[in-house]
Amino acid sequence: PRPPLAAMFADGTGPGADVESLWRSARSARCEAKSCQTGKISTAETAVQSHTSRDASVQTDQSKDAVQDFQQEIQVDYASLLSFLQRVEDAVIKELNKNWKSRAFDGFEVNWTDQNETVLCLHTLSYPEAQDQNLQVTSVSWNATGSVVACSYGRLDGGDWSTEKSYVCTWNLDRRGLNPQRPDLVVDVPSSVMCLAFHPSQPSLIAGGLFSGELVVWDTSRTEDPVIWRTGMTDDTHTDPVYQVNWLPDAKHRNHARLLSVSTDGKILVWRKERDGRLALAEGFAMVAQQIPRSTRLKKFAWGEAAVGVTSLSFSHFDPRVFVVGVEGGYPLKCSTAAETLALHRTGSSVPLRAPAELAFSPHGGPVYSVSCSPFHRQVLNLFLSCGTDGQVHLHSMLQTQALVSLQLSKKYLFCVRWSPVRPLVFAAASGEGNCNQCFCSIGDVHLFDFEKSSQKPAVSMKQAAAECPVYCLEFNIKQTRLLAAGDATGTVKVWQLSSDFTEQGPREMNHLEQLASEITD
Amino acid sequence: GIPIRTTLDNSTTVQYAGLLHHLTMKARSTVRDIDPQNDLTFLRIRSKKHEIMVAPDKEYLLIVIQNPCE
Repeated sequence: PRPPLAAMFADGTGPGADVESLWRSARSARCEAKSCQTGKISTAETAVQSHTSRDASVQTDQSKDAVQDFQQEIQVDYASLLSFLQRVEDAVIKELNKNWKSRAFDGFEVNWTDQNETVLCLHTLSYPEAQDQNLQVTSVSWNATGSVVACSYGRLDGGDWSTEKSYVCTWNLDRRGLNPQRPDLVVDVPSSVMCLAFHPSQPSLIAGGLFSGELVVWDTSRTEDPVIWRTGMTDDTHTDPVYQVNWLPDAKHRNHARLLSVSTDGKILVWRKERDGRLALAEGFAMVAQQIPRSTRLKKFAWGEAAVGVTSLSFSHFDPRVFVVGVEGGYPLKCSTAAETLALHRTGSSVPLRAPAELAFSPHGGPVYSVSCSPFHRQVLNLFLSCGTDGQVHLHSMLQTQALVSLQLSKKYLFCVRWSPVRPLVFAAASGEGNCNQCFCSIGDVHLFDFEKSSQKPAVSMKQAAAECPVYCLEFNIKQTRLLAAGDATGTVKVWQLSSDFTEQGPREMNHLEQLASEITD
Repeated sequence: GIPIRTTLDNSTTVQYAGLLHHLTMKARSTVRDIDPQNDLTFLRIRSKKHEIMVAPDKEYLLIVIQNPCE
């Protein structure tokens, strides 16, 4: 028998182990009771009561001369009116007849303002940093109030690839301490800006089209980051540089405008603003060679299905749906925003693109760089100008394909043409580089043309720079009608003050313009 | 002045009526200041673009705007 091993082991319970908590006692060991009290605040009781009062009441009085509205019922004594008219009828008719036959005022002109005989260069503006980088002025624009001029720096001969930074500079010409070498605002842009447009009524908004195909809108009144809207690189964005950007009035909302951009990829796109700072595509047009109407009188080129690169655009001032575009093929085209037909071969965009072209006008010998619709001519016979690399300016009427007048302004490329906003017969053209061995005209002129004086040669040619550099862009100032800004390849913007004969409308200019248009159409 | 009959649009008419009424009164007082026996019979204003003729009367004004073709 084994000894009971279990006897070695016995059940038992051990006492529990306690760990005294220290923190409570520790805390209370270190605590003290304290009390505090704010010092006595002195108060006093007083009462206020006004002891005199007076009643008064205010009411607007019926004004004695009430505003007479034309639609109101007016008490007219027709009998006395009739006798009055009978009394004066003879006298008035006699005067009317006299007037109509009178030659008393022929050639009589009154000068109310000081006559300024010469064209002077008021300011030469430049941004030295951009000039050091050999950037050229690609576009100028005046703002809605006419006191700020903005220019964009970039390169027009950059070729297909350009990753250069560029700048947008603004100068306020009405400021006292204007320093022509220091712009009031410089915006750094990561890609080359090709075109600029200030908002037509909000003086601080400016839109620019970039080499990369994007559109950006800057607000010059914001100091930190002037960018407020941009298209970004989406499927809808242009695939080629944007050569012109315009603000379009939005029919539905008065204050908001839409942006229109034109690019050599053949698309004309209209953008609207979205809340998050993006520009979204609202509608669009695409120019495809096959859809351009060709009149039988024009020579037939082999078009193929190529996209037609659009370089410039101008809206008609009388019919807001009609616009004229200039294309690389040298044709100015009349287009309409009301076009319904869809463009061929334009896929990949969120909004269906339409083909807007309605009429093709007679071509230039090279790409058309600029078109401008006259703000003066009446609706029926709308006139526009186009210029291109063949050095010619064509004056067209929208009704017929052949040009009314063709002017060979120079042998150089013409980069920009603009109608004067005040004189119906005046326009300005900017000339640039080109192959010219024998002609004596210098490169880099701004030509001012006056149909009243001569229909063959420019009235005034202003040499933009001492060295020979092409002038790429020019804009008239609509508010201060004497000023014309022109930007050139050396990176300077010159603000020219025009002489009075370019800024004051003569008494019969409209008639001359209509006469000019109609005598050539016949 | 309050326009009674017009061949132009409303806003232009109201503008012409108001401005020319004052001018006619001023012209009339000028004529009478120079010679109290005299009075204004007809007012013609020639501008670059057209000619405005005003036939005045005690109660009414007739305003005619003519574009003289030359």
